[in-house]
Amino acid sequence: MRRSLLERATIYLIATTFTFFAAFPVLWALNISLKSERDVLVHHLDLIPNPATLTNYIAIWTQSNLPDLMWNSAVTTFFTVAICMVAGTMAAYSLSRMQFRGRQNVLLFFLILRMFPVVLMIIPLFIIMRQAGLLDTRIGLALAYTAFLLPIFIWMMKGFFDAIPMELEEAARIDGCTRFGAMVRIVLPLVQGGLWACAVFIGIAAWNEYLFALMLTTSSGSRTWPVGLQLMVGEFQLPWGALTAGGILSILPVLALFAIVQRSMVRGLAQGAVKG
Amino acid sequence: MRHAISDTKAFPWLLLLPALALVFAVIIYPTLSGIDLSFRQMRLNRMDLGQGYVGLRHYLALWDDPIFWIAAQNTLVWVVGTVILELAFGMIIAVALDYELPGFRFMSVIILLPWFLPLVVAGNLWALMLDSRLGIINAALQGLGVIEGYKAWFADPNWALPAAIMVETWHGFPFFGLLLLAGLKGIPHELYEAASVDGAGFWRRFIHIQLPGLRIIIVATVVLRSISLMNSPELLLILTGGGPGRSTQVLSLYAFQKAYREFNFGYAGALSVVMFVILMTCSWLYVRYSNALRAD
Repeated sequence: MRRSLLERATIYLIATTFTFFAAFPVLWALNISLKSERDVLVHHLDLIPNPATLTNYIAIWTQSNLPDLMWNSAVTTFFTVAICMVAGTMAAYSLSRMQFRGRQNVLLFFLILRMFPVVLMIIPLFIIMRQAGLLDTRIGLALAYTAFLLPIFIWMMKGFFDAIPMELEEAARIDGCTRFGAMVRIVLPLVQGGLWACAVFIGIAAWNEYLFALMLTTSSGSRTWPVGLQLMVGEFQLPWGALTAGGILSILPVLALFAIVQRSMVRGLAQGAVKG
Repeated sequence: MRHAISDTKAFPWLLLLPALALVFAVIIYPTLSGIDLSFRQMRLNRMDLGQGYVGLRHYLALWDDPIFWIAAQNTLVWVVGTVILELAFGMIIAVALDYELPGFRFMSVIILLPWFLPLVVAGNLWALMLDSRLGIINAALQGLGVIEGYKAWFADPNWALPAAIMVETWHGFPFFGLLLLAGLKGIPHELYEAASVDGAGFWRRFIHIQLPGLRIIIVATVVLRSISLMNSPELLLILTGGGPGRSTQVLSLYAFQKAYREFNFGYAGALSVVMFVILMTCSWLYVRYSNALRAD
């Protein structure tokens, strides 16, 4: 296709504008977080902190319970991802590889689940969790997250399974492998990349989640960082410097994971959604 | 061939069992019991009232509740406004990134970033930029002569909802961009070549090739996003809590506050059931419409 210089220049301008729009709030928070408390108030419009200081980071890390909050989030996220990877991979394999009656209905069922209103189930879930003794525990929260993220995990994983030729498995089975053996030894290693991408996607969602955590955790023993940070904003009128430092610290794991797997994750997301 | 449990007919279901069990325990059962709750008296702070059935009382009360109607109206503005903006931004950026010029891979990763940031952080980043004393947006707008003095955006009933829509758009437009870009990549090259032989310019290419090619994805993303916007009160909970006054009160937030602040679970249940019915109608329309689209 021929494209004029003007057309390409316009496209560059648009792409740059949106990149700036997407990145600016994060960069601005980074800027504020590196300023001293005085500079946040007096020189708040300076684009570069001068002098840059880590005092806000040290303050939020040592003088608040942010480390505990992040640890709770990490434990919850770990459980969520672990359960999702086992239960979700099994389900996705079944839905991708096997022929059985009701298969289409199960797929549709998982799709429709995403449309259930969260508020409607969050109340009974609160009551159920309390009865089961799972209220205000990290594992209880993780179970709630898992159920919510399973449908999307299964749809994404199914896409990765579908991309692997059936013949490989059939060959293994002729060689005497059981179905389960073929799944574990042949298919799983081949979808590894996709599996990690899905796991990261689920992990980020669990790490970021706010509403369930607000409802299902009530004490500092299981409270996750989004709830804790928002509490600090409301109760202690956290100064902007400390708040932005806390925010930047909390999204570091997200940024790191995102950078590592962005390519395959994007592919998986797009596939799942287009087919769904 | 050996006979193992994995070669039986039940095996596919056995593999599905853990996932289905979890989903039933955490989603299906609570949903059903939530519907049941909407017909009952249930106040956690007034357990003396018992938990008897009250029939349609909550629904009738809802009908006469002026806040419900305000919230319904705000929900409509919130969902439609956000989706239109996100779709527009997403479409522009998808068409632009489809040019695959040098540097665009990197840019697409940066553009995707807001979608992966937690709403707690997204909300507070914008609260900082819109702050009435230190906000850079206030400074910029004042510098440009658009506003006269610094403005407390979230304290102004006329501006709180539009400002929140802007924040949510920042958070959500990458989702549209990503999926529309994936859709554009799926459009066969021959179509473009045929068009360029005909001398079609940018607009005719967009209207006659790209837009029709994206039809199914546009419908799917709009429906999915509308559902999630309707469902999630998080951002408004973080930014405004429904205020000032009732200017940013939406249905999901109202239900959440009824349950979480007033512990009136029965009434909150009725509110959620109404939302559920609206969502299910939308999804049903979506399934029918997308099947019709695929058929032709």
